[in-house]
Amino acid sequence: MNSDYINIALADDDEDDRFFFTEAFDELKLKSKVLLFKDGIELMEYLNDSDNMLPSLLFLDLNMPKKSGLECLKDIKATKRLSDMVIAIYSTSASEEDIENTFVKGANVYIKKPNDFEKLKKVLSEVVTTNWQYHTSGLNKDNFLLRL
Amino acid sequence: MPTPSNKYLRTAFIAGLFVILCIGGFTYKHISELSQTSKVVKDNYSLRNELELIISNLKDAEIGHRGFLLTHDSLFLNPYEESLQKVTSNLVKLDTLIVSNGEQVEKLKQLKGDINNRFKNFDKSFSLANDDSILTRDLLFLLHEGEIRMDRIRADITEMLALEQRLLTHNQEVNEKKIGLTPLFFYGLLIVTLIILLLAYVKMTTDLKALKESNVELEIFEKLTKQSEIVSNTSTWVWYIEDNEFEFSDNLYRLIGEEPQSFEPTLENFYNYVHEEDISNLGEQVNMMMREEELPFTSFRVVHRDGTIRHLKAYSKLMDDTEGDAKMLGVTIDATNEVENYRIIEQRNQELERTNKELSAFNYVASHDLQEPLRKIQTFMSRLESKEKDHISESGQVYIQRMKSASARMRMLIEDLLQYSRTNTSEKEYLKTNMNMLLEHAKTELIDSIEEKHAKIICDDLPTMEVISFQIQQLFINLISNSLKYSKDKVPPVIEITHQEVLSKDINEIKDSLYKYHHKITFKDNGIGFEQAYAEKIFLLFNRLHGKSEYSGTGIGLAICKKIVENHKGVIMAEGHPNGGASFTIYLPFLK
Repeated sequence: MNSDYINIALADDDEDDRFFFTEAFDELKLKSKVLLFKDGIELMEYLNDSDNMLPSLLFLDLNMPKKSGLECLKDIKATKRLSDMVIAIYSTSASEEDIENTFVKGANVYIKKPNDFEKLKKVLSEVVTTNWQYHTSGLNKDNFLLRL
Repeated sequence: MPTPSNKYLRTAFIAGLFVILCIGGFTYKHISELSQTSKVVKDNYSLRNELELIISNLKDAEIGHRGFLLTHDSLFLNPYEESLQKVTSNLVKLDTLIVSNGEQVEKLKQLKGDINNRFKNFDKSFSLANDDSILTRDLLFLLHEGEIRMDRIRADITEMLALEQRLLTHNQEVNEKKIGLTPLFFYGLLIVTLIILLLAYVKMTTDLKALKESNVELEIFEKLTKQSEIVSNTSTWVWYIEDNEFEFSDNLYRLIGEEPQSFEPTLENFYNYVHEEDISNLGEQVNMMMREEELPFTSFRVVHRDGTIRHLKAYSKLMDDTEGDAKMLGVTIDATNEVENYRIIEQRNQELERTNKELSAFNYVASHDLQEPLRKIQTFMSRLESKEKDHISESGQVYIQRMKSASARMRMLIEDLLQYSRTNTSEKEYLKTNMNMLLEHAKTELIDSIEEKHAKIICDDLPTMEVISFQIQQLFINLISNSLKYSKDKVPPVIEITHQEVLSKDINEIKDSLYKYHHKITFKDNGIGFEQAYAEKIFLLFNRLHGKSEYSGTGIGLAICKKIVENHKGVIMAEGHPNGGASFTIYLPFLK
């Protein structure tokens, strides 16, 4: 395991969003390695293969074909090997229902995709630099949705 | 069932019968008494007659006796003997006639003794006279003695006659008394009988009149029932339990598409018209009715001969206050319209549900799919603005700014529309909520613009109410942000929120409310206000009073407010003066 890099994964079916995501990390100049997945099936296949290195931070879109982000979240939390992974929900919508569901299922933070590139960079850097080990203990529903 | 008038008639009849029997009894008694009396009188007269005959017979005997004494001729002895025999038979008759009277019996005994002595005197004088034809001293003495005895007999008889006379007078007096009362008694009885007859007659006449009247009423009622059965598509039937016979009303035949009374009213005949799918169920219900003597509401279909299907509903109950034969009274109604209406409502409900589903699908499309490309346009524009700034001309920069504000406005519209449709959702959970808390949340949400405008919010203590909390919070946010938005230039906004409880009937707008009390919450500001003429228009969707360039806005915010208040069965009203501020009043009903 190379500790110099943060391993970050994104599962999102939208090509543009994946493009913004990688560009933002490029510009943030963090020592990070970004893994991209086009849908939930692809993501779970990768995670379930024990030969692969697990990302420390997973950005999960909710609305994906084949397997939705919520289903992935459920499977991940049900698998002991994966359950410690920090999961950030990364979605266009911020409906009460989605926020409630993902919070209950054990996601760490909920990010509403911003409509400004600078904001996106700010959000991502905030999430990456947060010490989730420490943060988890104070997790509650009110600060679950990330506001900037 | 004995009616009161029946009872009365029976009593009158019994009383009349009794009176007539009395009259018969008394009449018999009086007549027998009368005949008794006349027999007594007759006996009395024959007794007197016998007594007088005794005297005359004794006189005849004396005459014969004297003649014999003078002549010694036995010719005189014949009348003498005859008279003696007559006297003896007279005495026998007297015996039978005076049996009943004690005093007279005594007297008769004395008379008999005296007569006997007289006869002895006759015999003695005869024995003396036989020896000698001359009247001796002894014979003279005997004649004297005979005379004295004869006098005594006369006196006896006179006494007896007098006694008999007294008895007769007494009897006559008693009879007169009795007979004198009889006509009065009969007359009285007759009057009583007549009165009873008269009363019975009056009673019968009034009863007959009442009967006639109720007959007429019954006839009217029957006709009305028939009419109302036709008009309201109902029918009636009777089941005589003992005889297991049915009686169907005319309209029951019509309900199954037949002419009234066109077939025998039996269950079997009726079943011919019942829809084959419903026959077994109806049969079960009817069998249960025959056991339990009650038929709960039972629905079934009938098929007319022309194939029309109608929905019928039957109900029946035991008539429990009958004497004698028990019967069940049933009602069968045509519920086709009801069923049809129910079906239509169900269909509409399904349509509504589908529309709701479509609406929430639209919600999703609006929230996700529409925002997605917009977000990308905005993000790419922000990329263009920062990364490619140096390569774009000045007019190009202006175009980018215009595009940015247009897409920002589009985002606002989408978000507001979403909010508006969210107020429509069917999940309406009314929970007891502290309104002060909701207001605090609203203020937190708007903290940026409140601070930016240096706004002051003055607020009464608000009550706890049963509300859909996120909606009321949205209401507060929209009203406050409305006041903040339409504030006067360079005048810090002041928003006063007041609360009071009001009686519904005191307020014109809510006086017809079903609730007695309302919470009145007023938001009053010092902003630019508006013309009162627009007070109702501002709540309409997409309705704006100002140009987009002057004040940003989608024209949805107040429409959302109205919707939320209506969801809570309340009323919202606006009041404004140009440049004189606006106030929004909300009335929310509550139960005390």
